[in-house]
Amino acid sequence: MTISNGDGDSAAKDGRRERKRKRRAEPSLVKWKTEGEQKTYSSKLIEALRRVRRSSATGAASAATDHSRSRAVREAADRALAAAARGRTRWSRAILCGRTLKRRVLPRAGRPKPVGPARAAERSKPPALKTKARVLGRLVPGCRKLPLPSLLEEVSDYIAALEMQIRAMSVIAEALSAVGGAPSPAQTEGPM
Amino acid sequence: MSYPHAFTPCRRRLSFEEISTQGPLSISYIALPPSLPHHFEAGRKMSSRRSRISEEEINELVSKLQSLLPEARRRGSGRASASKLLKETCNYIRKLNREVDDLSNRLSALMATMDSDSAEADIIRSLLRS
Repeated sequence: MTISNGDGDSAAKDGRRERKRKRRAEPSLVKWKTEGEQKTYSSKLIEALRRVRRSSATGAASAATDHSRSRAVREAADRALAAAARGRTRWSRAILCGRTLKRRVLPRAGRPKPVGPARAAERSKPPALKTKARVLGRLVPGCRKLPLPSLLEEVSDYIAALEMQIRAMSVIAEALSAVGGAPSPAQTEGPM
Repeated sequence: MSYPHAFTPCRRRLSFEEISTQGPLSISYIALPPSLPHHFEAGRKMSSRRSRISEEEINELVSKLQSLLPEARRRGSGRASASKLLKETCNYIRKLNREVDDLSNRLSALMATMDSDSAEADIIRSLLRS
């Protein structure tokens, strides 16, 4: 019984490597546009809103200012959005664990400045692009120190997710305002 | 010399590594490979090769980003400058964040006025229907 492991192994390794590469390929942006994803997110959001409402009702009613309530709503929405991302992206993971860490004082390690003259030969990214990329990295949660290609991937996913969040929240807001305005049951409203 | 997988010594060493290798991506996952000297040299070589290639990569990724922005869809992708695109992306993200904040303000106001739970059941039903 001859087991030709040479070719089999390399082929298997290539397959595994390819699969690894494919798995690490960029998360598809299409899912943020599907209706199903939006509905899932909407139901998650409604549950979170219910919890916020209950906590703000049972808690000190005087302390529940509009600002703190809307901040709680925003955080709940962001957390639901990050949960919908299933942890495949950096910003989602950062949001999910960042909401607890941000309040505490983070030990800020001093940013080590890259030695300029040592890498003067490789100045492919002009400093203007670098600063803009840094600003962009600060806008997206958890992507401050990311190199540019991964940063751009995270940014594209983040933008698609934000757009879906806006769509879902506006649908919920419309539904709530419609229900609040007309005391008649929703059956008479008809399809929205 | 042994390079233990401990945290504090890694942080100091990583600052040097950040200079010599491609990027701070390794900092977030502090796990240095045991063969460190090779890693440093390879990093220096890799960075020189990478920054030469990366410019094309950057242009590619930036053009992909352009397709996401609503502006580019209108103008038919006339704007190719990377720095302008990055700026537009920043503005767009800020605008989206502002919209989310407005919506959450609106939702919190609506939630304050609405009291019954039956309203929410109606909303869920309407959502599931449409």
